[in-house]
This record gives sequence, structure tokens and C-alpha cells, in this order.
Amino acid sequence: MSTELKQKKQTVSQWVKSGDPWVWLNAGAVAISVIMVLGLLALIAVRGLGHFWPADISQGTYSLPGSQPYTLVAERVESTEVPAAQLREAGIDVADHHDLMKRTLMKTGNRDVYGSDFRWIIDEYFTNETRPEMLFAAERHEWGNLYGYLQAVKEDGQVVASTTDLTPTESALATWTAFERSIERATTIYDDIHTVEKDEIGTINHALERLRLEQRRLELNNDLTPEKQADIDAQRAEQNAKYQALQQRLIDLYAEINRDTFVVQVMDGSVHELQVAKVVRAYRPNAMGIAQKMSFYGSKVWEFLSAEPREANTEGGVFPAIFGTVMMVLLMTVLVTPFGVVAAVYLREYASQGFVTRTIRIAVNNLAGVPSIVYGVFGLGFFIYFLGSGIDQAFFPEALPSPTFGTGGLMWASITLALLTVPVVIVATEEGLSRIPRNVREGSLALGATKAETLWRVVLPMASPAIMTGVILAVARAAGEVAPLMLVGVVKLAPSLPLDGNYPYLHLDQKFMHLGFHIYDVGFQSPNVEAARPLVYATALLLVIVIATLNLAAVTIRNHLREKYKSLEM
Amino acid sequence: MSETSTHSIDISAMQRSHQALRIEDENVCLSVKDLHLYYGEKEALKGIDMVIPEKKVTAFIGPSGCGKSTLLRCFNRMNDLVDGCRITGEINLHDHNIYAKGTDVAELRRRVGMVFQKPNPFPKSIYENVAYGLRIQGINKKRVIDETVEWALRSAALWDEVKDRLHESALGMSGGQQQRLVIARTVAVKPEVLLLDEPASALDPISTLKIEELIHELKNEFTIAIVTHNMQQAARVSDYTAFMYMGDMVEFGDTNSLFTNPSKQQTEDYITGRYG
Repeated sequence: MSTELKQKKQTVSQWVKSGDPWVWLNAGAVAISVIMVLGLLALIAVRGLGHFWPADISQGTYSLPGSQPYTLVAERVESTEVPAAQLREAGIDVADHHDLMKRTLMKTGNRDVYGSDFRWIIDEYFTNETRPEMLFAAERHEWGNLYGYLQAVKEDGQVVASTTDLTPTESALATWTAFERSIERATTIYDDIHTVEKDEIGTINHALERLRLEQRRLELNNDLTPEKQADIDAQRAEQNAKYQALQQRLIDLYAEINRDTFVVQVMDGSVHELQVAKVVRAYRPNAMGIAQKMSFYGSKVWEFLSAEPREANTEGGVFPAIFGTVMMVLLMTVLVTPFGVVAAVYLREYASQGFVTRTIRIAVNNLAGVPSIVYGVFGLGFFIYFLGSGIDQAFFPEALPSPTFGTGGLMWASITLALLTVPVVIVATEEGLSRIPRNVREGSLALGATKAETLWRVVLPMASPAIMTGVILAVARAAGEVAPLMLVGVVKLAPSLPLDGNYPYLHLDQKFMHLGFHIYDVGFQSPNVEAARPLVYATALLLVIVIATLNLAAVTIRNHLREKYKSLEM
Repeated sequence: MSETSTHSIDISAMQRSHQALRIEDENVCLSVKDLHLYYGEKEALKGIDMVIPEKKVTAFIGPSGCGKSTLLRCFNRMNDLVDGCRITGEINLHDHNIYAKGTDVAELRRRVGMVFQKPNPFPKSIYENVAYGLRIQGINKKRVIDETVEWALRSAALWDEVKDRLHESALGMSGGQQQRLVIARTVAVKPEVLLLDEPASALDPISTLKIEELIHELKNEFTIAIVTHNMQQAARVSDYTAFMYMGDMVEFGDTNSLFTNPSKQQTEDYITGRYG
């Protein structure tokens, strides 16, 4: 018994020798990494996704010592503990027995009335808090949220429904129903207007622009015969006629949408009459059950994913940014893969493995370490100013002086990122090529295949999983890049998607939006930082998800290829 | 003929004793004249002179590093792929020097096929493996390819085992099947010469037996040169045997005489197991 116990006893040096500490160290490092990644994701998920939840609206009296008490109607956003001393220094008369005080950021909305959306309050002095059912929140196309009590709904200035009650009485609910109906109607008309303005008039503008360019081109070539001029004029007249018709339709629609107004009483007791057309949606969070809130939440998340941004990107969705990011990454992949593979094949298979090849290989590896902004500068200086201007002079002289490719755009951004990521693809492909067993190549050559045939039919298919690994790394890097994109074509707000129904459908010269830049813009360039902050998290989460999805797609393809060309080890 | 016991040397020798093969009577397929091969500074083949008779099996034996595989790889210019490899002398395939300038190496390799020590099927289906050489030649007619694939797989005694799974991956086959597939693949392009570089050394005895039987079948249509470490195997399958040592061709003659009555002391020492 005692000898057995003795055997189990270990000295520290024995324990170190056994290798156990290394296992613990490695496991610990892995655990820390996993916790950090999960923590990061959890943080941005909680902060970002919480934004879409319809929070209750509180009403109460805020009586800060030394100032006039007033009624506050607002959503709670976040709370922090602050030292009382700090508040005293700020000139607030805080009772002596307090050391720490809870301070809460309240979203009061109604920026058009109070000048700002948010204010900090000290919870201690916020009393008589209630959550009245008839309090409603309205998201608007401009000026942010509105909070208040509905008093009346009017059509053409005539009152349709009205109430003076602040509780859910029959008249109050009837007014609310009228309001909801009116919003629904306005939303339908708004969509019509949007379709007419964006799609139909957009198409006409596109056609008119093409006619203008065609005329200019003919002028430049001294080829503008009277017949051609007449033809162009006829087409232009046709488009203009269409435009006039649409213009008339728009005037009618605007008259329609501006028919209804509503009257609202806000927290300071003032009464405002606003147009229903300005409201995106209205809801009474205090009266909503959990199921209603969930469905509301779902619709908000969907709006975020599918709609265009509003109000300097602080409201609405990010669809153009998602689209731009994915489009740019896909184009980058299409460009970088063949280029990287061809370069790697030359370096590994054809170039003699001498000093020059070694130097080139080192240079390629080092290119991967160049800061991305440097690529941005290169893209701007070489691709845009040099190549782009050249292309404009040669192929689009009719559009000058306004640049076509001589300015940032989808194509230049993709090429710049392709350049940024090509070393990764080259290195991974070379690695893959060097792992193809020699005897398989010899097997092909011994059948009378040339080296090129062997490469195409045997070696490259077998190296395809390695090539995909390179592409995966390239996608991961490119999708997260922001800095170079700011120089070569990403903008805060792009008027239209780079892919649409107008010839040539894919507009490589167009500027586009990008999730990474969107985060930067919303977070740091926004006029309304407090309102935009949750969107920063939500967009960050979305960017991570988009990159993860792109990567997963590539990983799936790679695993499929791996299965198909699994190694010949026996 | 195909027992794997040690007695088979004597049995095969007895069976062959009255065949009386004479190299002078054979049609010459490949002839080697004063072939020197250098890897950098090192001389790996030191002036080889020999002929490989048509539609016979010629075996190359000798200890490791004696240059027998190197010599085999000269016959279809596989050594071209090795950096720093230099060759002087000539090898004639039916009077055409394969090392002459302007020789189409791909065409040469089609005519002189090679099977390697380790089975090296492509990561494609069984069918596509066999069709590979045909597709390389630009043959795309499905009927022609179908016929050739079946013929090649039958020639390699593999058809019955794989006819129901022609479109499955070749990597799922056993090692012996893979090696016969590689032989089928090589046969499919209808070469004149088959070079077998230790084709059975990575296989179990049953598979080895099948490969040896196959070689017997194939010699009716092809000239075969085989490198082997296994002297019983050389005695069993070959008509002529070359014994090489340190880059020299020590002795070359019909298998029967070489094994029963070697003319050089070195050969006798090797085949009786005194060194090697």
C-alpha cells in the first residue's frame, strides 16, 4: 500500500520532465483564445441585436435638485454607476450619503422638438415611473423617433378620429386604429413613389445619359449626320415623353401621400401636427405582448438586412453594404484565383529554381506583409489615375471630363484587393503543387502526356484543395479590409447597386458601399453618435457573419475537392 | 511456373532448358550503345551495351544502386526530369536514336510505356484512368474509348473485378488492383515496349502472382523490360536476364544459362546470395 502511494508522488522536476506542463500551457492558450473569440462575438451580438428590440417607454417625473421638475418620456438605453463626487463637481446637488449613483441614458427621441435624442438622468431623481399603454413610438424618415400620445388623425385637414384620453379608452383605440390604417396607406404610396423614382425614372435617366454619350461620341468622331441626330432626337423625345408621364404620376402620388396628418402631444405637453407620410412605422411597446414584440423584432432585423439606409446611415438597413461587400469579394476571388495559380505554377513548375526564383518567392511572401493602406495608395495612383484615366481617354472620351474608370469603383477596388491577396494564393498553391507525389506526375508523363497536359489534367486538380485554401485565406483577408477601399471606390452612400436591370447590368465603374466602411462611417462620421452606436455593433456582427458565410462556402468546396482528390498515401 | 516457393528456380530452369533461346535469333527492339549516364559528377551508368529483344521479357537484376532502374528509365527518357542528369551514347528504338535532337519525347513515351514500383493511379474513376492516355492523344469518341478501356482491362486481367464499378474512384481499389490498373492504363495506349520498374515489390504474394501471370500474357503482344529485386521472380518471368553491378552490365544472356551456368564469378556470387 505504502509503496504504491510513494510511486504516485512526483517531484516538481519530474512533473516538468513528464511534459504535462506543456499540455496544460497549450490547453490554456487554446482556452483563452476560444474564450476571447466567443466573448467578442457575444459582445457584438448582445449589443448589436438588442438594438432591434422594442423597449418599453417610461414616463415619470425627473426632479433634479436645484432645477425645475419635468415630465420625462423616454426609452432606457443603458445604465452606469458614477461616483457621487464626480456629479457634485459637475454642479449637481447630490445628498451626502451617496458614494455611487446610478446614471441612465434615456432616449427621448423628438429631435425636432428638443434638439437632441438622448439625455443622461440620475435614477435617484426619476420618480413616479409608469408605462402607459397609449404612449407610442413612431419611426420617421427624418428626425429620428417620435414619442408621445396620439390625439387626432386628419384627412385633408378634416379630423377623422380624435381623442383626449391618455388611457386605452374606446376613442383612444379608435384613433390609434385610424392612425395605423393611415400609415399603411402612406407606406403603400411611398413604395410606389420609390419604385417610380428609383427604377422607372432611373431607367429613363440611364437611357438619356446613353443617348447623350452617343451623340457626344458621334460629335467627337465627326460622324454626327443629320439622320443620326434626328434618330437620337426622336429617341430622346420618346424618353422625355415617358418621363413627363412619370412626372405627372409622381405629382399625383405626392398629393396622395401628403393627404393625411396626425396630431401628437409630446412629453413637454406641446401639441404637434405632423404628416403621416413621414412615419415609417408606429407602435405602442408598452401594450405589446412578448409574441408581438418578437414579431416586431423579426421585422426590424429583416429591415436591417434588406432595406436601404436612412438618415445618414443611422437608421434603416444595410442591404447595399452587404451587397457591395459580397460583390466585391466575389469579383476579387474571380480575379485573384487564376492570377495566383498561374504565377504559382510558373514559379514551382517551370522557372529554374535558382537565385532569381528564390528572390521572387521572397518578394512575393513579403508582399503579404505590406500594410493594406499602401495597396490603397497604389491602387489610387496606378490603377485609377494612370490606368483608369488611360481607359477613359481611349474608350470613353465622350463622357469626359467626368471620369468613367478614372475614379474609384467596384472594379478597381476588386483589383486592388486581388493584388493585396495574391501572395496568399501563390504561397498556398505552391505548397499544394509541391505536395503532389512525383510518381503521379511520372505516371502521366509515362503515358505520353506533355508537362502542360500533366499539369492541367492531373496536377492542378489534385492541388485544387490547396488552391482553395489560398482562396479561403484571401477571402478572409479581403472581406475584412477597409483602409485601401476608402481610396479606391467605397462610399458612404451609393445611390444604386452595382448590379441592376440596366445594360450592361454589372456596373464595374460604379462606386459601392461596404460593411467595413459602413461601420467606420456610422460609428465615427455620424451626426448622431448615440443613436448610431448599436448599429455599429449590429453591422460588425453582420460583417463577421458575411465573412464567415463566404469562408464556409469556400471551406465546403475545398472539403468536397479534398474528398475527391484525397491523397495517395497508402 | 507460378509457385512462390524457392524451388521454382529449378523448375522453371528445367522447363526452359530445351527452349534454347539465343539472343542472336531475336528481333531487336531496343539497342543500347555505349550508354553513359551522369548525375552531376557521379557516373551512374558506365558504358552499357545491350539489346532488348522484341516480344520477350528481359529482366534486370542487381543489388540496390547498381543502376538498373536508371537504365530502365533511359528507355523512355524519364531521366530527363532529373536535374543535373546527363547522358552520352545512344539508345535505338527500331533504328531510331531516341536521344537524337528533335525527338518527340511525349510520342516516345507513348510507344515505350512504364509502370512504376508504387501503384500511381490518378485520383479519377477507374474508367478515366484507363482512358487518360487516349484522351491525351485527342481521342474523344466514346465508342472507341469504351472498347479500348474494356480491352485494356481484360488484358490486365482486371475486367471481371471492376466492370461493375468502372466509374468509381480508382483510389478505392486494393494495391494489387491498382497496379494492374496502372498496367491496363499503360497498355491502353498500345505501346511497343512495357517498362516495369519493380512492379510487384509493393504488393502481397497473391497480387505478385497475378502480376507475374499477367506479364506472361502480355509478352505475346509487347516487348517487356522488368527491373526486379527478386531473383526468383526474374527467373520465373523472364526470357533474358541482365545482371548489373555498380553501373556496369556484368552479364547478359538468356535467363536459363545465366541462372544455371553464369559465366562470371560476380554473377554467381550474386545469384547464390553471397552478396547483394
